[in-house]
Amino acid sequence: MELTQTSISRRNLLRGAAATALLLPFGMSLASCAAPGGGGGGGGAKGEVTADNPFGVAANTEVDAVIFDGGYGVDYVENAAKIMAGNKGLDGVTAKVSASTKIAQELQPRFVGGNPPDLVDNSGANSIGWNTILDQLEDLSDVLEAENLEGTKIADTLFDGVKAPGTFGDKFAAINYVFTTYGIWYSGSLFEENGWEPPTTWQDLKALGEAAKAQGKYLFLWGKEAATYYQTFVVDSAIIQSGDDVRLPLENLEEGCWSHPTLQSILTVLYELIQAGYVKPGGGGTQFTEAQAQWSLDQEALLYPSGSWIENEMKKTTAENFQMKGVREMPLDDKATTPAGFMRAEAGEPFIVPSKAKNPAGGKELLRTMLSKEAASAFSKEKLAPTVVKDIVPEDGFGSTALVSQVEMIASAGSGMFTIQSFNLYGMNSDQLPIWNSFLDGKMTVADITKQLQDLTDKIRNDSSIEKIEIK
Amino acid sequence: MTLNAPGLDAALDTSAVVTARTGRRKAPRAGLRRRMTFDYVSFLLVFLGLPVAIFLIFVISPFIQAVYYAMTNWTGFSPNMDFVGVDNFVKLFQDPTFLQAMGNNVLLAIVVPLITIVIALIFASMITVGGPSHGQVRGLTGSSFYRVVSFFPYVIPAIVIAILWNMIYTPSGLLNGLLGVIGVDTNGFAWLGDARTAMGATIFVIVWSMVGFYMVLFIAAIKGVPSETLEAARIDGAGRFRTVTSIILPQIRDNVQTAYIYLGILALDAFVYMVGLNSTGGPGNSTLVMSQYLFRTAFEKGQFGLASAMGVVLAVITLLFAAIVIGVFRLIGGKDEGGRS
Repeated sequence: MELTQTSISRRNLLRGAAATALLLPFGMSLASCAAPGGGGGGGGAKGEVTADNPFGVAANTEVDAVIFDGGYGVDYVENAAKIMAGNKGLDGVTAKVSASTKIAQELQPRFVGGNPPDLVDNSGANSIGWNTILDQLEDLSDVLEAENLEGTKIADTLFDGVKAPGTFGDKFAAINYVFTTYGIWYSGSLFEENGWEPPTTWQDLKALGEAAKAQGKYLFLWGKEAATYYQTFVVDSAIIQSGDDVRLPLENLEEGCWSHPTLQSILTVLYELIQAGYVKPGGGGTQFTEAQAQWSLDQEALLYPSGSWIENEMKKTTAENFQMKGVREMPLDDKATTPAGFMRAEAGEPFIVPSKAKNPAGGKELLRTMLSKEAASAFSKEKLAPTVVKDIVPEDGFGSTALVSQVEMIASAGSGMFTIQSFNLYGMNSDQLPIWNSFLDGKMTVADITKQLQDLTDKIRNDSSIEKIEIK
Repeated sequence: MTLNAPGLDAALDTSAVVTARTGRRKAPRAGLRRRMTFDYVSFLLVFLGLPVAIFLIFVISPFIQAVYYAMTNWTGFSPNMDFVGVDNFVKLFQDPTFLQAMGNNVLLAIVVPLITIVIALIFASMITVGGPSHGQVRGLTGSSFYRVVSFFPYVIPAIVIAILWNMIYTPSGLLNGLLGVIGVDTNGFAWLGDARTAMGATIFVIVWSMVGFYMVLFIAAIKGVPSETLEAARIDGAGRFRTVTSIILPQIRDNVQTAYIYLGILALDAFVYMVGLNSTGGPGNSTLVMSQYLFRTAFEKGQFGLASAMGVVLAVITLLFAAIVIGVFRLIGGKDEGGRS
């Protein structure tokens, strides 16, 4: 072959290739965007609705469940799937449980393509934003109305505070499975040794901080990815002090919501604690589990505000005889307007059933199985955490002091529980993190942080492209 | 690879191509029938048609789609979206966080290549021409050992490097420990947690991981400089520094330019390093980069339209960067570049 006589010389050929190669950097930033397409799906075969099969799952179908593989793993759903497969009331309904650590990335094409799974645990740092998929989800009220495997109406077997975090607008879109209480955690043994009492209002913190300083310890510490735990702490405390007066404006992104006097007073107390040196500096450069280990293992700080997952999370890095205990987040002072024991407690690990799934009835059936006494007991025993099913954890909390204090907190709260949805709903956490890191580092005044948090809230409120959901 | 069109151009100016061109000029163009042989058509199909088709389907069409999505309010989880025109771009340029991220990227794109290339050049010169000033021009003793050792960081995946340095920089980490040993009490200083040092510390890590590779690249380039030229320079009385600036640098200018563009693209992305070192965007967003913000906007906030717009902006900035670098190097290139088309 005589290349010299071809009309396209090698030079021109390569030139063309080089010119197209120039466009390649586009690929680095854009190529990952997937195209929406396809529609359809949904409904699927229906079985007969009976007492043992309240959602009418078709016989011999498979339930496709995608479960977030986080702190609790996926084996508890597999366990429920096993129970469901052996359920004689159904006709050979099985489940395929897949684990995922990146729910949003993995399921995005399936939602767009109209073939989502039948049951999803939409949890973790990469969960799907609620306002983006809400209209594609089943209303799960009928699951609460159904009877569990033991024959009791499911709604009657659950803690209060199950419905709130799963309700968006008028839709009950998610059943949260694991019960999470928010509190201030401390070492029972350390407090006993020194005769300290866990704080009951923010006014107690200064004295406790001084006592800690006298022993070369700090009152609080934080890690950079978890700086907003202190936002949770501050906001929850303000709500415990003043109730819906603080909560509703924050939830509905109202103007001036961060300037509520209670919120401001609590921020001021925290600011004074920081300035007094009661908060361990350098948290902005410390990875959060490392920081938490400084509390649970090295005991450099007395208190840590967190959700009740903290015990499980730090299981391997907790000092011996630490005796982790928790108290509810505390009001500003003794003039709180809410009932005693009022606390933030909510169900976590939200399970959803997409409407367009092939077997939504099967998804609900698997959920119903998970809410049975048998499956819930297995979970609590294995994970040392309460599920939303009541009366499962025994007196001794399976040997866990933290689990016992959780049950105590829940008991004294009764129905006095609340939750905060908006921060997660609009994905605000990542924007709030740097603000809180700076504040805890002592680089911001109360006025600074108020302005920055308010600006962030205002930006979302004024952005017409973000769908707002009214929270009641 | 990408963007090395000028390098490619240079490579094409070889005698083979020149011969090919003159050869064609001598032989008059053959008729159409003769050129459409099976050999010729199959060659075109396999070596041009197939790659171009793959390129169009997997590279160009996603670009076009992304540009389209950038003009919609797509949430990413539903097949429905509205066309909103340039609203997303207007919003981006009014978003102080995005502008800050863009500024951080620009800073990285200027500083990272500059420092990396200067250090890599110094090392490469030491290893090739920095040796004794008598006898043959050669590098320092043990230069092959240094060459291997300084390549090590490049072999480690970026995310591992980032996590490694995250540990080193932590207040109770290795760096503060070492400083304590030599008597500097840092009092648990958080290198990545202070807005004054976070970016500097991050830049150091990227430079540290990249210097080895570019050093090896420059060594190969310097080896291509005829030793007669170097010896002649030495006989004329040029010291090592003068040799590097006046003889070597002009001769390896194309390599430096390519290195500059690669490093710039790396710095404009920088996603892995930033996520590993400061997944939160750093104190006061001082190390937040566009790709990180894009990821958050898409997957945490469910604003894929807006995120696509960020991708488009990032791509345009990358192209602009490449164009500016190529332009600047042409400008300072002098007359030997002038004759080229």
